[in-house]
Amino acid sequence: MMKSKSFTVAIIALALLGAAPLYLDNPYYIHMIGTIMIYAILLFGLDIVVGYTGQVSLGHSGLFGVGSYTAGVLFFKLGAPLWVIIPASIGLTAGFGALLALPALRVTGPYLAMVTLAFGTIIQILINEMDFLTEGPLGIKVPKPEMFGEKLTEHGFYWMVFGLMVLSLVVVDRILKSQLGRAFEALRGSPVASDCMGVSVYRYKVIAFVVSAGFAGLAGCLYAYSEQYISPNTYNFELTVLFLLAVIMGGRKTRTGALLGAAIIVILPKLLDDLEMFRQVSSTLAVLMLIGAAVGLVKKTTTPRAMAIPVLGTIALAAFSFWLQAITDWRLSIFGLMILFVVYYLQDGIVGFFRKLFFRRVNLAGDYHGVDLGKDAITVASNSAHIAEGSDLLVAKGVLMQFGGLKALNNVDLRIQRGTIHGLIGPNGSGKSTMMNVLTGIYVPTAGEIAFAGQTVVGRTSSDIALSGIARTFQNVQLFGEMTALQNVQVGLHHTFESNLVDVALHTPRYKREDQAGVERGLGLLHFVGLGDLANEEARNLPYGKQRLLEIARALALDPQLLLLDEPAAGLTAPDIKELIAIIRKIRDHGITVILIEHHMDVVMSICDNVSVLDFGQKISEGKPAEVQADEKVIEAYLGAPAA
Amino acid sequence: MNILLQLVYSGIALGMIYAVIAFGYQLTFQTSDTLNFGQGDALMLGAMVGLTLVNQGVNYWVMLPLVIVFGMVQGSVVERIGVQPAIKIKSEFGWIMSTIALGIIFKNVAENVWGRDDLKFPSPLPEAPMKILGANILPMEILVVLGAVAMMLAVEFFNRKTIYGKAVVATFNDRDAAKLMGINTGLVITFSYALSSATAAFAGALIAPLTLTGATMGAVLGLKAFAVAIIGGLTSGLGIIVGGIILGVAETTTGFYLSTGYKDVPGLVLLLLVLAYKPAGLFGKTAIKKV
Repeated sequence: MMKSKSFTVAIIALALLGAAPLYLDNPYYIHMIGTIMIYAILLFGLDIVVGYTGQVSLGHSGLFGVGSYTAGVLFFKLGAPLWVIIPASIGLTAGFGALLALPALRVTGPYLAMVTLAFGTIIQILINEMDFLTEGPLGIKVPKPEMFGEKLTEHGFYWMVFGLMVLSLVVVDRILKSQLGRAFEALRGSPVASDCMGVSVYRYKVIAFVVSAGFAGLAGCLYAYSEQYISPNTYNFELTVLFLLAVIMGGRKTRTGALLGAAIIVILPKLLDDLEMFRQVSSTLAVLMLIGAAVGLVKKTTTPRAMAIPVLGTIALAAFSFWLQAITDWRLSIFGLMILFVVYYLQDGIVGFFRKLFFRRVNLAGDYHGVDLGKDAITVASNSAHIAEGSDLLVAKGVLMQFGGLKALNNVDLRIQRGTIHGLIGPNGSGKSTMMNVLTGIYVPTAGEIAFAGQTVVGRTSSDIALSGIARTFQNVQLFGEMTALQNVQVGLHHTFESNLVDVALHTPRYKREDQAGVERGLGLLHFVGLGDLANEEARNLPYGKQRLLEIARALALDPQLLLLDEPAAGLTAPDIKELIAIIRKIRDHGITVILIEHHMDVVMSICDNVSVLDFGQKISEGKPAEVQADEKVIEAYLGAPAA
Repeated sequence: MNILLQLVYSGIALGMIYAVIAFGYQLTFQTSDTLNFGQGDALMLGAMVGLTLVNQGVNYWVMLPLVIVFGMVQGSVVERIGVQPAIKIKSEFGWIMSTIALGIIFKNVAENVWGRDDLKFPSPLPEAPMKILGANILPMEILVVLGAVAMMLAVEFFNRKTIYGKAVVATFNDRDAAKLMGINTGLVITFSYALSSATAAFAGALIAPLTLTGATMGAVLGLKAFAVAIIGGLTSGLGIIVGGIILGVAETTTGFYLSTGYKDVPGLVLLLLVLAYKPAGLFGKTAIKKV
């Protein structure tokens, strides 16, 4: 209901935007709004990289330039028509994006930022130097495009840009709400967990970057037509920083934020040309800040120390504005200050800020009427059904894992029988979690062999191993914090989707069917672990014990043959532990083999069929729970040897 | 042949500058896993302040320590405003963006204070080239190499031999443990930024007489020094010197044989390649991330 209301508002706003040429006669404003929409197309794409995958790209002005120059050169050298130029710009820029992403996305954070910066710089140098193609610093003149044999007027061009902007908006929105968007968001939340859910971090980062580059290409192409002249200096470092400012100031992960951000970076420089206006704005800002700080101090929601910098900062800014003679020279400093302000005081951007202000309690269970929960949510990869119980599912031989001189695992053999619950115990630091990491491909063992269902595991990527049927939970919970419980499980269901980018963009029946099935199974799994009422709650807001259960639901979504549980009972209360035991039993009854690492001996002894004991990286005992419990070596490892 | 040798000489001098700036990246990365994206602008400010002092009649040799002090203050400001709050809220995005923002502000301020044109920095040494092995070399180039090595040795000596230096090293090894041992790690990080900017400012004052001085001189230098830091590895002292020289020579030869317009390209391409195939650098050790 709420959704349809905001949908109506969005339609009205877009209609007003589309009709702008009818009630605005000033061509200056028409051109300005056109530029805002062009920037917005780029920002939709940039937000995929910055907001969803959480990477800093300083290369987007370079990509924007590639788009512009594809259009410019194709027109200038070949006289190519519009319908050739637009796809060519998108395709070529996406290609450049891939060229950058394939090597660069092996690294993250500051490294990636620097690499993309280097890329942007190279593009600018190449545009400048390759004058046989780009006319160098002289630039290229591009007239407005022709359509149906006639040259587009200012208004016609405006409507074309508007149409493409709305199209981009819809496509981006659909991508981000699909399994692809969830994959992007997941790899920001926890890269390790994404890989272990069969969502290859590297692959989806590259996809995100390439899609983002495609939008930058479209925006660049339209920009060339809009300005009717392109030159290398436009596509510089400052533009890249402006784009980033727009994304974070408008608000990450919202389309409204991108539009708002675009408006800010286009309009603000024009406002800043007016010194009088700047003085008023900065004075108002200082007064507001002062009042805000005073209110905060009286209500004791903040400390004088925390408010000192922003208050002094805004007052200094106001004083500075009255000292200034001309404002244009200080444009960049003002943008710099705005970035600092947004990074520390407005982290969710303007849209996020207002959302928080008018916070409405969401329906945690969600409106999922008519969703069939009767079906059994747990399924097992089908090929396991016809194999007799009792055969070996996983065989590890002589596994050695060395970190420098330390042998975290020393020559460990492990046989896991199909359909059993296999306990893996040992004192802290004995190598249990290392074993899990070796089995799921996070570590590559120094030596040894591991065969899972007849296939070797060693040397394959985590996501590949996960897709072949090994799911896991983590000792230190690795949920996708900003995503809801249901979305977390849906990431686990990623492997059930076969629809591609086109299916997602067009909402083909295949995609709709798969998406609906995903929601049903996701809710079913949440009910199975007892979280059915919390489907729409963000994972980071769940209590610790429930987070552990959610991890189990997410792992089950992978349809595993083998489930690795790393200390699932840690931090759980006694009644919760009882429930957990029941859940683990039910999982086994569905034919899923379980390896259980646990310190609660009562849990281990009551549900495990077999138990292996590790100490200092070596297996010291193995057998039925009772046998292991009586083994002197085990007692010695836990309690120490009796004095000789 | 002589031309090539001459290009190698200038390449080495240039490379040592990259090495000093890269050394600055290493200092902060070691204590806090953060980098100053405005490192190039710290270098530019050093050169600009140095130029102003020299124009005021201050002797070049007296100016150098003053520039170092200025660099320390500037670095501390960057750390307090841009990095410390971000470390507190554990936001990687935060410190990347805020050091970029500070860099832009510094550049813009410099443009307004010193103008947008490139300025000539008077050389403290004779500008007549000397002949070594038949190729020309400027006395200033020798000074750059010596100065860069001296600066790095001084910081290394400080880190290894003094108790304060040991606090820095301890913070590098394990920030939380160092904190529990009573080391004020926040102060150590501020200090590492002060040292880092000081080396950059010093490098600026050294290179300025060889190049032109201007508000935009820092950006590309900072980026290429990052390439050097990556090629050498963010933890290897020897690596950055080798990396710096490789890049410096590659650049002077490209500039001569191809076109000066392309001279920045090899360094940036090298950066892309090294990160793609050996992210820990040619001399760094690959660390296994614990889960």
